Amino acid sequence: MEIKIALAGNPNSGKTTLFNTLTGSRQRVGNWPGVTVEKKEGTVKNDHDLLIQDLPGIYSLSPYSLEEVVSRTYLVHERPDVILNIVDATNIERNLYLTTQLLELDIPVIVALNMMDVVEDQIDPKKLSEQLHVPVVEISALKNKGIDELLVQIKKVSTKKGQQFLPFTEDVEASVSFVEKLLPHLECPRWYAIKVLERDERVDEEMNFSHDIKKEISCQIDHLEEIYDDDTESLITNERYAQIAQIIAKAVKKSKGKHALTLSDKIDKVVTNRILALPIFILIMYCVYTIAMGSTPISIGTMGTGWANDVLFGEWIPGAVDSMIGALHLNPILGSLIQDGIVAGVGATLGFVPQILVLFIFLSILEDCGYMARVAFIMDRLFRKFGLSGKSFIPLLVATGCGVPGIMASRTIEQDRDRKMTIMTTGFIPCGAKMPIIGLFAGAIFGNSSLVATSAFVIGIAAVIITGIMLKKFKAFAGEPAPFVMELPVYHMPSIHNVLHSTWERGWSFIKRAGTLILLSSIVLWFLQSFGFVNGAFTLVEDNNHSLLASIGNAVSWIFYPLGWVGDMAWKATVATFTGLIAKEEVVNTFGVLYNHAGELSEAGDEIWALVAADFSAVTAYSFMIFNLLCAPCFAAMGAIKREMNNPKWTLLSIGYMCGFAYVCAMIVYQIGGLLLGEVSFNVFTIIAIVLLAGMIYLLFRKGYQPESEAISTRELKFRTSKS
Amino acid sequence: MPLVFAQLDIPYVIKRISGKDAVRTHLRNLGLVESETVIVRQSIAGNLIVEIKGVRLALDEGLGRRIMV
Repeated sequence: MEIKIALAGNPNSGKTTLFNTLTGSRQRVGNWPGVTVEKKEGTVKNDHDLLIQDLPGIYSLSPYSLEEVVSRTYLVHERPDVILNIVDATNIERNLYLTTQLLELDIPVIVALNMMDVVEDQIDPKKLSEQLHVPVVEISALKNKGIDELLVQIKKVSTKKGQQFLPFTEDVEASVSFVEKLLPHLECPRWYAIKVLERDERVDEEMNFSHDIKKEISCQIDHLEEIYDDDTESLITNERYAQIAQIIAKAVKKSKGKHALTLSDKIDKVVTNRILALPIFILIMYCVYTIAMGSTPISIGTMGTGWANDVLFGEWIPGAVDSMIGALHLNPILGSLIQDGIVAGVGATLGFVPQILVLFIFLSILEDCGYMARVAFIMDRLFRKFGLSGKSFIPLLVATGCGVPGIMASRTIEQDRDRKMTIMTTGFIPCGAKMPIIGLFAGAIFGNSSLVATSAFVIGIAAVIITGIMLKKFKAFAGEPAPFVMELPVYHMPSIHNVLHSTWERGWSFIKRAGTLILLSSIVLWFLQSFGFVNGAFTLVEDNNHSLLASIGNAVSWIFYPLGWVGDMAWKATVATFTGLIAKEEVVNTFGVLYNHAGELSEAGDEIWALVAADFSAVTAYSFMIFNLLCAPCFAAMGAIKREMNNPKWTLLSIGYMCGFAYVCAMIVYQIGGLLLGEVSFNVFTIIAIVLLAGMIYLLFRKGYQPESEAISTRELKFRTSKS
Repeated sequence: MPLVFAQLDIPYVIKRISGKDAVRTHLRNLGLVESETVIVRQSIAGNLIVEIKGVRLALDEGLGRRIMV
């Protein structure tokens, strides 16, 4: 018989490690229905009857964050057979706060006391078990200790009916019992009764009490609030901490020197230091990027990508495919489809995998050891100035590698509007695949100046800031970013298993798109490029100026006329922009094909520099670069936006905004920049560009929508009206 | 006084957390409750790292102003 076990615990309590230890690789990852909170489940390694469902890391069952709402809805309505509560022994007081709430659900609870090896014999598990009325098993998730014992206890507990709770003080307990009697028949009446007393909005909605019952309840609430001179929510919190204090007094030996500086504190004194914090962060990121993407002898990422591009997808696979095509005597058109379409297209993307993986390994290490939480803290002050919180920084940082995991990283942001804004701006950051575009123009037109790459980052960051400030003034985004409060985990050695696991998860989503979207679009692109109308007949074309792609490019290139994409280069730039939607690295590849370069093109396209230089001026190069850096990201990133926004309207709005913003910026740069350099004469688009610039400045500096004071939440308003 | 003015590495007792919104509840769930001892470990231009119940929490300046010690 299947036993459903819910794994619950605080963030940073070792929950993920325990889940991975228990289930091994038999995991299914999905989303909780209707929300973008990750849902993981898996069966236990040697016992497939035990189904473990991983709840998000939470501090309580109050509805502050999406994670808490998801967890409590699951526990209250799906009713697992057992709750496995992981408790961090090094931080037992705060961890038990969630435990006191789990005990009220009337589902058998078992406590896994993690990291007992760190606190040694300060905690007495037997006494703790007596106090909580649940089995307590000492484990070390990291060292795989105590897991067998845990499984034995889980099976034992699963036959138990219900769960004993910890009583509150008399007055509170009386009110809870009173409210319990008013409730309809429910599976965990005590939990509901407490939530009703706390004025939990979601529970109120669910219960839909009659007027009389509401009156009786608010009478009870008033009664309690009068006795304790505090609101019920606070006094119940206090009750819980009082329960915990009693338990701690009996089961935990207080360690001496509680307020001494730990090693972690000492590290924090340096890395979050007012003056040193930023330089240290920049130095760390500089090292990470040098190793992942630089061109030095230690840049293993670049070496890997070089090998993949030149050897694996440059010789081995095309060679093998060539001989296969030869041996099977395939039709040359089919051969060209496989070789020029699929292998070249998919290979271009897979070539980036080594760089991306190296980058992700480092980001995972920084995350696992606890540094990323500090980075969010350091950046909060700065980001608050343009309407984002420090938590938005991590998605932007990850996006410098690849936008897809960057957009996915926005999940940890609690507030909906902050999360939406982060998703909308993440695509502006130059990702690894946009680097070749920058390389091409830096080489072809600007004499390889490193200022061009720097300017690309400045453009990306400026786009984030401008967007942040502009959007904040609209009603949908108005209001302060959510207050920043975040636990800083103790620094620790990263676990190899966790690092590899999260690197793989992120890397895999990148590889997967090469196999699906890019494969498909490579085929379409190949078709459009290889066929066309010559003298009115539809045929395979030699000169790609006659291809379908050229016809389409020519037909729509007028759109980009105001951006200065005129003359011969217009359709090429247009087509390259469209292929860039498949993957940004396709832009340079497309130029290679369109400028009729025979043979393999180097990453930055050195071979076609002269031809590109003949077609582009400095201003048109920037207009093209800006548009391509800022417009809709690749299909894979758009897919990620769709998934994270979880709403078609917002998905379209984000992508539309990016394209519109890119277009406006590119036009302003070309028209006004060109006018100043004497390259463009004054024309109707100059006026439009000036108007757009003025409009943008207006949007940046206007007063904007002023939300009503947020110190009073809707909950508070209800509370007030009910009292008055 | 508000926690933002507290000196580093000296224990203070929380007297009051003002406001009554969801954020306050969240702070309490994280262990920031009245009569608990709190130590400010780091302060960058008002943003704080505090130690409470053996845990380190990062708080922005706005929250630091709402916690009276």
